[in-house]
Amino acid sequence: MTDSRTIASTLAAATCALLGSTVIAPVNAAEEPVWEFDTALLYYGESDDRVQDLSLNVLAVRNFVDDHVLTLGLGVDTLTGATPIGAMPFDGPQTFTSPSGLQVRSTPAAEIPLDDSFLDTRVALSANWRQPWGRLYTVSGGVTASKEYDYLHLGANLKLARDFNNRNTTVALRLAIASDELDPVGGAPVPLTAMGDINDLSNRLSSESKDIVDIVFGVTQIINRNLLVQVNYSFSSADGYLNDPYKIVSIVDPLSGDPVPRPATPGLDGPSHQYLFESRPDERTKHSIFTQAKYFSAGRVLDLSYRYMSDDWDIDSHTVDVRYRWPLDGRQYVEPHIRYYTQSHADFYRPSLAANTLLPAYASADYRLGEFDAVTVGLKYGWKTESGNEWSARLEFYRADGSVPGKLLVGNQAGREIYPDLDAIIAQFSYRFGK
Amino acid sequence: MKQTVILRSLILASIATLASGCSSLGVEPWERDVLAKAEMQLIADPLEVAIDEHIYFSKEASSGGRGFGGGGCGCN
Repeated sequence: MTDSRTIASTLAAATCALLGSTVIAPVNAAEEPVWEFDTALLYYGESDDRVQDLSLNVLAVRNFVDDHVLTLGLGVDTLTGATPIGAMPFDGPQTFTSPSGLQVRSTPAAEIPLDDSFLDTRVALSANWRQPWGRLYTVSGGVTASKEYDYLHLGANLKLARDFNNRNTTVALRLAIASDELDPVGGAPVPLTAMGDINDLSNRLSSESKDIVDIVFGVTQIINRNLLVQVNYSFSSADGYLNDPYKIVSIVDPLSGDPVPRPATPGLDGPSHQYLFESRPDERTKHSIFTQAKYFSAGRVLDLSYRYMSDDWDIDSHTVDVRYRWPLDGRQYVEPHIRYYTQSHADFYRPSLAANTLLPAYASADYRLGEFDAVTVGLKYGWKTESGNEWSARLEFYRADGSVPGKLLVGNQAGREIYPDLDAIIAQFSYRFGK
Repeated sequence: MKQTVILRSLILASIATLASGCSSLGVEPWERDVLAKAEMQLIADPLEVAIDEHIYFSKEASSGGRGFGGGGCGCN
């Protein structure tokens, strides 16, 4: 007995020596694990009074015995500001009927038309349970829900992972399903119908819905003591109403490229020019390959990832993300971050539609379906308190620059600034406590 | 049909090669000190990843890859 105790204490001392010179506080078995909280306050702001988002996010994690983990998430976003509606700018003023159909709004000459009635609050909730299953498997399941004024999301997900090769290789399969309901202000427009006068909601449908299935198959491999890599293949299928109900496409003169005026209805306010509500296919299938590596060297951690995405709307994208965590001392670190993103345009992306020609089945002038590059540059600074809690602050700049291929331009549109470039600031303040 | 058989054989051979290759990689259980650090987890800051994925989901035509494709928002 005495011998085994001596061996045990010697082993414990040796383990401590291996792990470091600090004294490790003994775990009190009677002390139940406590909640751990991750909190973040985020400001996201676009230039030119476009979208502003103030967001509060909380992630609460409770570790139970035997690696059973419960994670609860809450996010509240308040959104204001203006967003491009897809209409073609030109050197004259334009007037639009608001999404509600109750009023009209004007855009001065030469400006990209925006909808400044954008105002929303989003509340998102999530819950996830994870636990080992047998010696080599881990299972987890979760539910997600979010609600905006005009949108409801409900989702569920499952994950099964198995360890191989002495737990150096992990293979995981994840499945998520979601059912979302859109209830746009004024009703969901019938695709490719005209924007009407105020109070004319004859081409609006009631609520619409879409279903999404995501499958992710991933392999994580420990290469050596300092290097870890992951490769994921993802499949995503969306089915249903995939339009943005607030986006329109201008009808333009086939020679000049200018929006075609719309005859006014006597006694009624309405759009100054001809605009159609956008039309997207009601199905979308995406495939992506994502790979990430984490490398530790002299206390610093390099986090490198790349994603390739391709979908049946003919959009291909590449994303490269690099983070480098650099400790300043035992309690502080800085982490520079650079992200580069580039995408091709959807095959139905049309900045405008020429008048007197056959309408295509699908058309959208949504700038997010156009061709653009985006760069994010940021810096994060974090520090640990004496009690082990962690503060961090990050500031990032996001810039998206787009271009419209010449073949999609009509008449004298070539000389104009049509694509709404984007500059945004991401400022986040986080506090992690309870560990 | 013949092409399918060849393709299947190639895929199986690739998986077998990868699996045998992977078995020579890795560390022993007592060599996981660095990999166990919080900053060495693939998702070291889950809240920041979730926030970023939500921002990029609403501004770009791609999403997901690391995990699910995001969603649950009328922003795209």
